[in-house]
Amino acid sequence: MTATTATAASEPFDFDHLVQDERVHGSVYSNEALFELEMQKIYYGGWVFVGHDSEVPKIGDYQRRTLGREEVIFLRARDNGIRVMSNRCSHRGNLLAIEKTGNTRYFTCQYHGWVFDLDGNLKDVPFPGGFTKDHDCMRVKQLKTEVYRGFVFASFDPNVGPLDQHLGRGKELIDRACDMSPVGRVRLSAGWVKHRFATNWKMLPEGDTDGYHVQYTHSSFAKVTRSHYDSGLLEQEEDLTSQTIDWGNGHTELYLKPQYKQYMEWLGVKPDRFPDYIAKMKEVYGEEKGHYLLMAGAPHAVIFPNLFIGEMNIVFFQPVNAHECIQWHTALLLEGVSDQLNARILRNSEAAMGPAGLLLADDGAIAERTQHSLRDRADWCDISRGLDRQETGPDGKIHGHVSDECTNRAFWREYKKVMTA
Amino acid sequence: MTAQLRADAAETSLRPSIEERREIEDFLFLEARLADESRYADWEALVDDDMMYWVPRGEGDYDMATQMSIIADNRSRLRTRLAQLMTGERHAQLPVSLLRRVIGNIEIEKTAADEYRVFSNFVAYELRRASNGQTVVWPCRVEHRLRRRPDGLRMFLKKVMIVHGDEAVGSLGFIL
Repeated sequence: MTATTATAASEPFDFDHLVQDERVHGSVYSNEALFELEMQKIYYGGWVFVGHDSEVPKIGDYQRRTLGREEVIFLRARDNGIRVMSNRCSHRGNLLAIEKTGNTRYFTCQYHGWVFDLDGNLKDVPFPGGFTKDHDCMRVKQLKTEVYRGFVFASFDPNVGPLDQHLGRGKELIDRACDMSPVGRVRLSAGWVKHRFATNWKMLPEGDTDGYHVQYTHSSFAKVTRSHYDSGLLEQEEDLTSQTIDWGNGHTELYLKPQYKQYMEWLGVKPDRFPDYIAKMKEVYGEEKGHYLLMAGAPHAVIFPNLFIGEMNIVFFQPVNAHECIQWHTALLLEGVSDQLNARILRNSEAAMGPAGLLLADDGAIAERTQHSLRDRADWCDISRGLDRQETGPDGKIHGHVSDECTNRAFWREYKKVMTA
Repeated sequence: MTAQLRADAAETSLRPSIEERREIEDFLFLEARLADESRYADWEALVDDDMMYWVPRGEGDYDMATQMSIIADNRSRLRTRLAQLMTGERHAQLPVSLLRRVIGNIEIEKTAADEYRVFSNFVAYELRRASNGQTVVWPCRVEHRLRRRPDGLRMFLKKVMIVHGDEAVGSLGFIL
């Protein structure tokens, strides 16, 4: 921090200085050059969440997405596999898919009419006499793609390590979400609401597993409606038994189960509201695991860098520039349950999330104020809360009080690792 | 039943009178002004017991039962939404956005003896005082369903279709 070395001079960012155990410098949210480096290191160099395979159920179904600032298409190919490829013609760079979603056998570039199949292979070129190159070298850029329980992740770096390694123990978080379905399958078929934040994207993963702000930012919500956050986050500090958990690799969780007293509190319903679901879960998973799932619900957890499993919502972050980002969300619908249960999940998702959400609209305003305040001569942001009372478990996970900044520290430790790699 | 249907059909074919049109326009202008001025309780007084306040992701084919909406409030949830705003702790609206909207292209269909379906367009300008002080434009199409009560018109549906509702939209804490 004091020693300005030759390394620091040639390297524009001194991450040991900017990101410390107890504080981060506010310029990490506003520095535009740093944002460019994040695109290269985090969004183009590592694994990022793209979507869910239930969004493309049939061969030829596709969805457009933006990864970092790159346009991509994710689709179901002829072999029924999931592909993620650049949404860019290999000829002169025009967009291939124009609609947000659709079903097609081929992508035809609208500029000169080049035709590509679902694997991105060049199949046809108008007036072929003038184009003598081998078609094989003109394949649309394919991203390295892996799917875990329907969750599609991709990387622009063909040499990125296996997804399994990136997810690490965080796979358990995805498992817990999927296992809320008695057939182990979730379905993201309700479409995405897109919420624009005039903030740096990193405020989203930080805010989404910040247990401390709920008692203040969301006091108006608590005053007008009963919710599962009443017992989990809004008691006196010494009475709160929920936790913040650092799962490693930047994956973080607000673990709310310790304070739930009944099944399905996480959906804001009494246990007798959906008796068939409870019976089926126990039948499929057995008494012990069924009991656990019905008490705990899906996790409230961030998978680094851009996926948030927000209980019965799936959320992801799209960075736009240093000062702007978009949070996408949709309901985590379950396969193998009644339409009534999925309808409840859908309506709950709308209540909490998005531009008009009873929760998220307030998070948006708070985050935008922070960004506005930090935009120039930023100061230090303190993340030391609970540093001296967190505990590392035998499995390496770090557990903190639910109001502690254990999750922020987990995010920033991984961030620093990736940015300096 | 058949007679009633015939009567309804006859009514449906009726164009609203000039007086009805004027009354409905007055309702829309009042409703808009109360929303613009964040007068939540006064605005709520225009709402009938079976109100739906619905902001789908645009004008497309968005089925409320299967598709995510930006807002899909039944009467109960709308009550919660307004009560939250009235706590004085709804940060998204602290201080409230300054708003003004212009309404036009009003088309009225008379759907029963005492019911109307009204389409209009509006453009609202919002000064976001609660966050970063930017001014935002909200271009929208609206469907109102109105019915006559002894003390005047009430709305039982307000469906607001934001032109860019399926793109990223900013915080929407006020009544659109």
